[in-house]
Amino acid sequence: MKRALALLFCLAALPALAKDTLNLYNWNNYIAPETIKRFEELCKCEVKQTYYSDNEELLAKLAAGAKGYDILVPTSNAVTPLIKGGQLKPIDKTKLTNLKNIDAKYMNTSFDQDNKYSVPYAMSTTILGYNAEKMKELGLPTDTWAVIFEPKYLEKVKGKVTVLDSSSELFAAALKYLGYSANDTDEKHWKEAADLIKRAKPYWAAFNASSYIKELTVGNIWLAHGYSNDIFQANLDAQAAGRKFQILQGMPKEGAVLAVDNMVIHKDAPRPDLALQFMNFMLEGKNSAELTNLIGSGNPNTDAVKYIKPALLKNPAIFPDAGVAAKLEQLKDLTSAQRKLRGKMWTEIKASR
Amino acid sequence: MPSGQTRSQVRVQNRPRNRHSALLWTAAIAGYAFLYLPLVIVVVYSFNDSRLNAEWVGFTLDWYRKLAHNEEMQQAAANSLIIAFMTSLVATSLGTMAGVAMHKYKLRLLPILVLTPIAIPEILMGVSLLIFFVLLDFSLGLVSVTLAHIAFCIGFVAIVVRSRLAGMDESLTEAARDCGASPWQSFRYVTLPLIMPGVIAGALMAFTLSIDDFVITFFTAGAGTVTLPLQIYSMIKIAVTPEVNAVSTLLMLLTLVLIVIATKLSPSLLRSNQEN
Amino acid sequence: MNRRGEKFGKWLVSGPPILYLLLFFAIPALIMVLASFRSAGEFGGLAPLIDDAGKPDLNVESYVRFFTEPVYAQVFVKSFMYALATTLICLLIAYPLATLIAKSAKKHRDLLLLLVILPFWSNFLIRVYAWMIVLGPQAALARTVNGVLGWMGIGPVSLLFSAFAVLVCLVYVHLPFMVLPLYANLEKHDQALLDAAQDLGANGWQRFWRITFPLSLPGVYAGAALVFIPALGIFAIPDILGGPNDSLIGNVIKQQFLETRDWPFGSVLSIVLTVAALALAGLAAWVGARSTSREASGA
Repeated sequence: MKRALALLFCLAALPALAKDTLNLYNWNNYIAPETIKRFEELCKCEVKQTYYSDNEELLAKLAAGAKGYDILVPTSNAVTPLIKGGQLKPIDKTKLTNLKNIDAKYMNTSFDQDNKYSVPYAMSTTILGYNAEKMKELGLPTDTWAVIFEPKYLEKVKGKVTVLDSSSELFAAALKYLGYSANDTDEKHWKEAADLIKRAKPYWAAFNASSYIKELTVGNIWLAHGYSNDIFQANLDAQAAGRKFQILQGMPKEGAVLAVDNMVIHKDAPRPDLALQFMNFMLEGKNSAELTNLIGSGNPNTDAVKYIKPALLKNPAIFPDAGVAAKLEQLKDLTSAQRKLRGKMWTEIKASR
Repeated sequence: MPSGQTRSQVRVQNRPRNRHSALLWTAAIAGYAFLYLPLVIVVVYSFNDSRLNAEWVGFTLDWYRKLAHNEEMQQAAANSLIIAFMTSLVATSLGTMAGVAMHKYKLRLLPILVLTPIAIPEILMGVSLLIFFVLLDFSLGLVSVTLAHIAFCIGFVAIVVRSRLAGMDESLTEAARDCGASPWQSFRYVTLPLIMPGVIAGALMAFTLSIDDFVITFFTAGAGTVTLPLQIYSMIKIAVTPEVNAVSTLLMLLTLVLIVIATKLSPSLLRSNQEN
Repeated sequence: MNRRGEKFGKWLVSGPPILYLLLFFAIPALIMVLASFRSAGEFGGLAPLIDDAGKPDLNVESYVRFFTEPVYAQVFVKSFMYALATTLICLLIAYPLATLIAKSAKKHRDLLLLLVILPFWSNFLIRVYAWMIVLGPQAALARTVNGVLGWMGIGPVSLLFSAFAVLVCLVYVHLPFMVLPLYANLEKHDQALLDAAQDLGANGWQRFWRITFPLSLPGVYAGAALVFIPALGIFAIPDILGGPNDSLIGNVIKQQFLETRDWPFGSVLSIVLTVAALALAGLAAWVGARSTSREASGA
């Protein structure tokens, strides 16, 4: 009798086991739960999400040979090593009927000519986040990188400033401030940037990519080098908690880094068909807009505009105007030799006093 | 000597209270306070009405409600518990064997094999195990994670068991053998009860290391394998909400309950020899 | 027991752990030791072992880099200092705790032990975040400290994002790994020895220093090993609440595997760290063995 019951249970579970699964390897909180549910109903499949919190983690895991993922969501400069390392499956664009929704200026970039492998998903910029009341009180500018690099400004906020713990982001900000391109690879310019950073370092509270938002929101930190999505969220949280200050986004006039995240298919994807279906689904304006409305991310989808909350559309850090957009740059991947040099300079910066 | 009491128990009864026990008590209580201060914050802040959870805003049960609907988080917690229990079981067995072997025999390979996983940086071990599993075409999932965890937990158990055995009186085991006990019997009824506190200490350490591991788990987990640390660390750049505090609080309580039940079910296994 | 039986017993007990560790640790580790002699892949990972010309890609470039660029040795030394401080402070805090548990009545011991380890079944990250709240500038602790310092005329200090915060967290995270081995050792101490000493006139301090502490040394060494060695390689704590000067070797190693994508160099740094840690452990064991044998023969 027991055996028969056990067998019945197994048989009942079988249809569930046989359900199609799409394996999505994504940043945490980078897709709205409603969107996932709607896709699951549409494709009659299950979406399993696993997470990473850094492009580099994704790259390291795939470089060591991991597989089983269908869709990955790397930033453009991570797409390059993935393509060159032969990790991606070319996309069958005939299945992507909604591809025309993407703004042409984000298509056919140097990262993936002709978009053979990738499709833009969402964007963010790396800018300044600041406590509006404090900065006004101290009379500090909030539209220039000088405020985190120049001792004359830093003196007033000593110990209340954090910068991102990322050599590429911090060097990019320094290079932009010095008037160079964020993708400049001249060793002399890098040396200048490194010296600029070392000079400012004693005034900074920390190199921090993980807890700076909390500290900014409660007022322990007054100025941060951070991501636009996070700073947007921080203000929502600060207002919800009833704080007496606003957390605002400051777009530096020298320009900033733009990060475009893309959907790609892994070369060993178990279900490339579901992956393409998912991509096409996310290229619909309605679905793409849900993420922007959730976390305040930038959106390369022209069709999404009519679904995005008006307040977000007016936000210059999320939807920069043409003048600002011209000064935004996407970071390019470096060669192995350049990465080693950058790594050495970064370690020296961290070890300097 | 009165029956049923050891020599030391009789002595203690007749001794005046040690003058230094007040100092000992204060220091120990301070130690517990140090251990529990952050924990109190963890539990209290699981009721905090603030997404970023950096300061107390107000009381709410919302996060527990969210957790009740969050299947992903629940699955992650369940996976973590399963992996931790399996790891603890296997690592404690293998580690105890290793500890006993290192004490008893003059081995050269085992001490190195046991100590190196503790010394080696986790990221190196994680990457190397991933490459290894891929080479063997071993599918990544709960099993690969458990195998990896066992590998780095064995050393902790072995070192504690060996230190427990250090200076241990061999005469008891020899006496047992003289009375005709087989090697297994002398181990089971003489050695094992003597080293039991070390074995338990090792098992607790292995469990703790496994349930909280991130780096090695990140590399050896498969697509769709979630453990609690993987889930939580991926939130690190966005917001580690009070829901994480909630799941941690519940997990701690659950684990405590499970372990208390386990000790009640097998008292003979865990009581030390002195009561027999 | 005859010779063959003895040998069989030896392999029966040491065999399974050796086999397991050889398979799931030694072989993977050797893959990375080999990697330290290879070149980094242009886009990540490792360059192919046999290059296009059919020659194996083996070199000692990464080792040469380590020995010719002094900054890495500097960071190593800093990490050793932190790990050493962590170990000593852990020992100071853990010893009374372990003693109390060991001296407690049988029925309380298991519970007290569980209470020590219970906090560590919550997630590491939120425990560190809890410390950020405790050490935050607006919390009671920082305000008290800065109040006292202000009264002495010294400017306010930040407890958070500092070496102090890193050290407090390091000690906190490693404490159970000192308490448990110490407890396992102290539990077997016979009270009769201490009572006899008291009878002979020894005071509390003498009983501790000349009986309890020497007997507990194996536990102290075990705890020290299980704290010092892992503490050397830690990176998450400086990442979350360290200041700009608190980068440790664990952070540098992580950077090689992730941002820089220089696995060979990351392997070199890891091997140096591992070898150094093992050498120190071996040295400590040797010193310990010599002092116990000297005591046995001399005192």
